[in-house]
Amino acid sequence: MMRSHTILCVDDEALGLQIRKAILEMAGYQVLTALDGNTALGLFEGNPIDVVVLDYLMPEMDGGQVAAAMRRLKPRVPILLHSACVDLPQETIEIVDSSLPKGEGPELLLNRLQGLIEASQFPMGSNR
Amino acid sequence: MNLNEFRRVLKQAFFVPLLALLALAGVLLWQVTDAQMAQRWLEHSDRVSTHVAELERLILDQETGLRGYELTRDPIMLAPFKDSAGPIDAHFDLIRRLVSDNPEQIANLVRIHDRYLVWLGFANNLLSTPNPASDNVQNHRAKDLMDAVREATRTMSQVEDKIRRDRMAHAILLERRELMVIIVGALLVGIGLSIFSLTRLRQVSRAYQGSLDDLQERSNELFESREWLHTALRSIGDAVIICDAASSVQFMNPIAEELTGWPLDQAATRPLQQVFHIVHERTRKDAENPVEKVRRLNKVIGLANHTALIARNGTEYVIDDSAAPIRDKNSNLIGIVLVFRDVTDQKRTEAALIASEKLAVAGRLAASIAHEIHNPLDSVTNLHYLLANETDPQKRAEYLNMAQQELKRTMQISRTLLNLYREPNAPVNVDLKELLEGVLLLLQRRLDTQGVTVQHNFDGNFVIEGFPAELRQVFTNLIINAADATGVDGTILIRMSGVPAEEFHGSGVIVEILDSGPGIPDHAEQKLFQPFFTTKGDQGTGLGLWVSMGIVQKHGGTIRLKNSDDSDLHGACVRVYLPARTLATSSSRATAHVG
Repeated sequence: MMRSHTILCVDDEALGLQIRKAILEMAGYQVLTALDGNTALGLFEGNPIDVVVLDYLMPEMDGGQVAAAMRRLKPRVPILLHSACVDLPQETIEIVDSSLPKGEGPELLLNRLQGLIEASQFPMGSNR
Repeated sequence: MNLNEFRRVLKQAFFVPLLALLALAGVLLWQVTDAQMAQRWLEHSDRVSTHVAELERLILDQETGLRGYELTRDPIMLAPFKDSAGPIDAHFDLIRRLVSDNPEQIANLVRIHDRYLVWLGFANNLLSTPNPASDNVQNHRAKDLMDAVREATRTMSQVEDKIRRDRMAHAILLERRELMVIIVGALLVGIGLSIFSLTRLRQVSRAYQGSLDDLQERSNELFESREWLHTALRSIGDAVIICDAASSVQFMNPIAEELTGWPLDQAATRPLQQVFHIVHERTRKDAENPVEKVRRLNKVIGLANHTALIARNGTEYVIDDSAAPIRDKNSNLIGIVLVFRDVTDQKRTEAALIASEKLAVAGRLAASIAHEIHNPLDSVTNLHYLLANETDPQKRAEYLNMAQQELKRTMQISRTLLNLYREPNAPVNVDLKELLEGVLLLLQRRLDTQGVTVQHNFDGNFVIEGFPAELRQVFTNLIINAADATGVDGTILIRMSGVPAEEFHGSGVIVEILDSGPGIPDHAEQKLFQPFFTTKGDQGTGLGLWVSMGIVQKHGGTIRLKNSDDSDLHGACVRVYLPARTLATSSSRATAHVG
């Protein structure tokens, strides 16, 4: 097993974020969490992040703005948009690598994250 | 011609013929008097002639007596001579009196008298002579004297005859003139009277004709104006029924005939309730007779909401109507006029619009709701996964507790959502503070996304009677409007205050929602509460404020929209007054009356 991958989880729902962190840690990832966009961008800039799990509807900065800022900082880090929002704007979907609605179950989330990490580490197979 | 003129003509018609006939009678009288006078003069002449003849006879008698005496010397023979002397004198006197007006005849009479006296003197002389000798000289003298008397007498008689002839001719002339006067007078008076009557009758007839023409003209005008009003009433697009104070139908226009199913000729004089049978749409109870209601309230009334008209064939129409009193010049109620229209389709459309706006509100909330529910669901799913893989009891308990929290949150959201639609049948006590907090909870996500800050000040107890779901719809609408108006980084201030009862409203609560947006554009102010008016383009249905107003009005409240005069927030200010006690029922009309 290689070094464990680091995932940055961004969500304004504190409880949901805490639970998601437990899931990801159980799956063997290192997890950083942020409750808003600004905190997230600070962590993203200061830490080696392998993948970002980003909520969309958040106060002050929404997921789209956060994703765009992250792309400017580290364009190669994959971003998974993970939101309960039903009508995500098209331009945000185009920025991120993948999107997964909330409530689909942890297995799907873990699969998708695994796929994104592998793709980012073997750029030929990247879906970007 | 006025009455005085007519009376004058009547007087003329009475007096003019009377006076004309009197004048004619006067003229005739004059003529008759003249003729009588002529006749009298004629008789006078006859008397003169008769007396002259008599005088001559008496004188001849005397002469005869004298002759006899001369021949016989018998005194008896002198009797005629003596006897005649008195009458002769008397006749002379009489004739003198009769001819006193005529100098010629007086002269003739004097001549007769003179000659007679000469003869008489001769005769007396003869008689006084005893045994006179009878000789021819004396005889001749006597004869001459007597002849002279006779000649004078004859002259007088002839003159009198001539006078009589003249008088006769005069009398005939007068008679003719009298006849002429009668004929001409009668003709003149007749023609004059005819002409007079003709002109007066014509005058009266012209006046009468004039009056008749006036009357005809006025009657025509009256007829025309009556027709005009009738046509106007018949042409009105709404149904019109007019009835008298005793509720008996007098008039219906074709639309009223169509809606009630009663033709006017059959409905006329029937009681209004029979023709215009109205019931409450839901309770089916007979509605109050509009005539009684107008009489009771003494003003123009709109009939109760949800009034249904049951036509003769049983068809039912929801109607919107009004009834107004008709008064005479002494302000007595002499009837009422009912105006109504079939609003069945309009009601259906309104109901559809209200339902559609309700859906639109829900639709607008759907995204936030889905989001709100998905978040805890996602957590629960994740917790389930964790629980399946976790063996540490402490952690498991922690996860279960978390799942419990998330489920509770889901339930809360779901309940709030249900409340949006579930509605009690009667007004219930509504805590406006709780209600507004619930609305804000549902809208929180949306407001956060829009970057809108909501400040509120709900200190106090604000409980009113009402229908919570509808009120939630109102405040959801108003808050979304405010948020849309402020845009990013805007601020909304919601404040509540209690108001005491005043003259025009009971005690209640005022909720004000102020925003930091640009305020209300001038051209929009008048139309904001009209259906389908929107400032949001395709994003809005244009029904929100219209429906909100209907709901607030149903609760007996008011809703006003103006630009804020708050020193910090310069946008729009919506002020909703809701009375503490409402008269609304679940079936009250919720459609806004846009004034």
